[in-house]
Amino acid sequence: MKAAKHGRKLGVIGVALAVTLGLIATSAPANAASADATINIGSLYEPQNLDNTGGGGQGVVEALNGNVYEGLYRLTDAGQVENVLATSSKISKDGLTYTFTLRSGVTFHSGKAMTSADVKFSLEKVSATDSKSARKSSFKVVKSIATPDAKTVVVTLSSRSISFIYNLSYIWIMNSTAKDFAAAADGTGPYKFSAWKRGSTLTLVRNDSYWGAAPKNKTVVYHYFNDATALNNALLTGAVDVITSAQSPDALAQFKSSAYKISNGQSTTKLLLVFNDRVAPFNNKLVRKAVTSAINNAKLLASIWGDYGTLIGSMVPPTDPWYEDLTGVNPYDLTLAKKELAAAGYGKGFTFRLDTPTYDPHPAAAAFIKSELAKVGITVNINSVTDDQWYNNVYKKHDFAATMQEHVNDRDVVWYGNPDFYWGYNNASVTGLINQAEQAPNARIQASLLKRANRIIATEAASDWIYLYPQIVVASSTLSGYPINGLNSQFYAYNIVKG
Amino acid sequence: MKTVKAHRSWSLIIGLAIISTIILVALISWLWLPYSLDNTDGGRLSQPSATHWLGTDKLGRDLVSRLMVGARIALTVGFSAVLIAGVVGLTLGMAAGFAQKWLDESLSALLDILIAFPTLLLAMLIVAARGSSLTSAIFAIGFGMSAIIARLTRLLVKRVLSKDFITASRASGTSWPRIIALHVLPNIWPTLIVSFALQFGLAGLAEASLSYLGLGAPPPNASWGSLLQEAQATVMTSPIAAIAPGLLLVALVISVNLIADGLREVADPTLRRAR
Amino acid sequence: MRKYVIRRLAFLLVSLALASVTLFVLLRIMPGDPANALLPVGATPEQITAAQHQVGSDLPLIVQFLHWIRDLSTFHFGTSIISSYSVGPEIASRLSLTVPLTLIAFVVAVAIAIPLGFIAAFKAKTWYGALLNGFSQLGIAIPVFWVGVIFIFIFALKMMILPSGGIPPEGWANFPGMLKYLILPVATIALVMSSSLTRYVRSATLDVLGSDYLRTSRSLGSTFTQAMVRHGLRNAAAPVISIVGIELATTFVGAVVVESVFALPGLGSLLVRAIAQHDYPVIQGVLFISTFAVLIIGFFADLIQRLVDPRLITNLSGGLK
Repeated sequence: MKAAKHGRKLGVIGVALAVTLGLIATSAPANAASADATINIGSLYEPQNLDNTGGGGQGVVEALNGNVYEGLYRLTDAGQVENVLATSSKISKDGLTYTFTLRSGVTFHSGKAMTSADVKFSLEKVSATDSKSARKSSFKVVKSIATPDAKTVVVTLSSRSISFIYNLSYIWIMNSTAKDFAAAADGTGPYKFSAWKRGSTLTLVRNDSYWGAAPKNKTVVYHYFNDATALNNALLTGAVDVITSAQSPDALAQFKSSAYKISNGQSTTKLLLVFNDRVAPFNNKLVRKAVTSAINNAKLLASIWGDYGTLIGSMVPPTDPWYEDLTGVNPYDLTLAKKELAAAGYGKGFTFRLDTPTYDPHPAAAAFIKSELAKVGITVNINSVTDDQWYNNVYKKHDFAATMQEHVNDRDVVWYGNPDFYWGYNNASVTGLINQAEQAPNARIQASLLKRANRIIATEAASDWIYLYPQIVVASSTLSGYPINGLNSQFYAYNIVKG
Repeated sequence: MKTVKAHRSWSLIIGLAIISTIILVALISWLWLPYSLDNTDGGRLSQPSATHWLGTDKLGRDLVSRLMVGARIALTVGFSAVLIAGVVGLTLGMAAGFAQKWLDESLSALLDILIAFPTLLLAMLIVAARGSSLTSAIFAIGFGMSAIIARLTRLLVKRVLSKDFITASRASGTSWPRIIALHVLPNIWPTLIVSFALQFGLAGLAEASLSYLGLGAPPPNASWGSLLQEAQATVMTSPIAAIAPGLLLVALVISVNLIADGLREVADPTLRRAR
Repeated sequence: MRKYVIRRLAFLLVSLALASVTLFVLLRIMPGDPANALLPVGATPEQITAAQHQVGSDLPLIVQFLHWIRDLSTFHFGTSIISSYSVGPEIASRLSLTVPLTLIAFVVAVAIAIPLGFIAAFKAKTWYGALLNGFSQLGIAIPVFWVGVIFIFIFALKMMILPSGGIPPEGWANFPGMLKYLILPVATIALVMSSSLTRYVRSATLDVLGSDYLRTSRSLGSTFTQAMVRHGLRNAAAPVISIVGIELATTFVGAVVVESVFALPGLGSLLVRAIAQHDYPVIQGVLFISTFAVLIIGFFADLIQRLVDPRLITNLSGGLK
């Protein structure tokens, strides 16, 4: 009796095992020919919604920019501006009128043809009152937009703006008759938006009626994670083929094998120690210079990123046309720091509160800064703040002494020309130079004016630009054609080839 | 008449031994640490060595020191949360135990609602409302657990109140406060202590979960839960950092559970319940 | 009986009402403005005001409360203020992951706990009975996320036989794929839950084994098995059923934490993200649904318990948690 019962039990267990193993085996995905491959991309930056003027966030640029939506111009991975939906442009002599000729034969994924009305609609969407676009302030200079015919757009500016065409590369041309921009995406790009399972995956599928060259793969799936470890694990187990931007240098050691390739590209994200330039003691430029010279940025960079990352001496990264290496302006020199402190009247040191975001690398950097400044008699009180508290208290209310923050955009030295910006740097000649630069007649003059402004900003140590993040893309070594510079968070997927 | 013989309980002894060690380590940490927590010179993520017995974390801080401070925090969380749960729970429970009819029904209903709401969810809500900090976490966990203590107290109080000697006491003119002090409290105390011991462990686990979800005290907090959360990024290269805090937390919880079991056994050795 | 059901139902509704008010109040005393999550650095003051207006954080509290009540009564959970999606459908979609996860884990835990609990009780005096008791002690002391991290380390990273997290993009349409991705999360939850359930079963069984009615029944001539089945199970069942509600709620909480470990897009990860972003409608929606679920389960557990053993006075039943 017992033997039969055992036998039956074993039989049931055996069947269960077989079924489970069978399920595990059959669920392995079959990977077809390379041109029809599915690329799995892993990222920490899930879009909030699909509208980059509606608060979609960094993630929506990464997923949709250049893939689903295109602009009049595009920023290549190397940082060059290229024509996309605008085939040519004419600028009037006084620099106030731009006439764009649109590419013909372009349709949206829904089938509607793209016309100048859509361009006008898209530009106005960025400047609209409820627009949450980060580019809104750059388009204040637009006075009016006219559409004399379906293929021509005429934009009139209120003053010269040399960055106008560059800024246009951020604007998506959206379908003016579309109803939903937050949960749907009707663009002109090489991929169609297929599905979005919030918290999990966002899927793009090749657009077979694309006006340009077809993408080299058929399906792109973005997998979103909240946590860098889970993302790394996904790459280790092959669930994703590439990580768009590795944020945890510690974990890179796991990928140092021939199965993976770690690419070190150009990033535009800078880690800043931000002083509140309006209030004591940081309204005194000697104090700011002293603090800057007391912190060994090289050591901090090495301890956080190891061999990666770059030292900058200013807000300007190497990819900006007005870059200069200004690391020597406020060098690491404790004697100099003590001298400057004494000259400013703080020979005995002082205490200040450092509002520190809670996510990496800010806590580590803050702890390091605290121990460095202790050597010159300055006491730092580290105050951890959430994103929300940072935005409220530091950014909106300017209620801080010093804080740490990463600033991701390129060409953002112009923030120092605005005395109302949260760090409150107010230097009339810098503001003048920056405004002049924007109205410059050509790029060369713009660059030289901004260089001059930048040198002043650096000499006055308006902030401490600690280091430039590396842009690390980790991919399986069977993958190629992926962007490595990730400028402004974009991630073009159309050249990625698997195998 | 049952003769209750107090007998040696191995559970109690082992449990007390473990928790005493942890308390000792926490006390020592106030006086001496191998390295100060601000010391980041250890080299990042180094392996266990003669100078750093369990290696260092990603900032170069000594892991042993962080674990010792973590012991402090774990014990603080446990004691404080239990204190809050005890005070709030006992008061509510007493009130409900003495209440009659509709007051009793309403209080009892309120308690049931609170209990139905899982402690961790309640803690997440409170932490979301007050911001992440160790005090928020302790308050949230304590408040969440108070419902359980309250319901138990109510049960025990009602049981005691239904006994004859209470009626006799009242008949002979004893005041309610005296009755509470002389009869109610001494009778409910043993069972409550057991429950406190169990809740201590649960508080530690809840704090670890909150830290793991990123809702606990912000860095540079060194609670064992946060250490676990930080360590998982580098579990392939530095497994010790992920194992040690977990083991310590498990040890703490097991020790209080053993103490709880032991106390039960000592109070009534005929009981063979596991809970 | 009918009177009891009606009273219990009324109590359920009152609980729900109380829960909604509490939720609303607690959330509104949160410091911080949800509009912030929508805005980039470099936002102009007019963008900030516009965002606040869209989010409704510039309305007086009483107006916000009335909106909340109005929405609830139509089972309308509003729209996420961060991402503009409709909260109700999003919760439903997340439930399609969390509910199966919770139920499967619970069933597996019960399937493990019942036999193990019985053995631990019957063989309490043997070395393996004691060993089982020891393991269950260990199981309730381990944080559930730690188990998850260890499982990922062993099965996903080292042995590479199971995925480290996430779900297939097609969701349940890819049924075998989903099961594969759920194996480790289920195992993680079930390990911890089965430990505590084993202890309950063991405890209930030990009580019954030593009880009078079992002895009486046997002395009257029934075999051990007959006595056990006729009296033991029914009497053991009552306390166990009373804790099913609570244990199911605990399993749900375990699922919430485990979803973070395994990057599963379930209710838990929705809640954690919403808390970080102060997305009130989402937080309210999720917590309301969770409370509702827990209260409903409790309601049915109470009813079943009443049916199984009407002699039990519900107020005094259910032991320690």
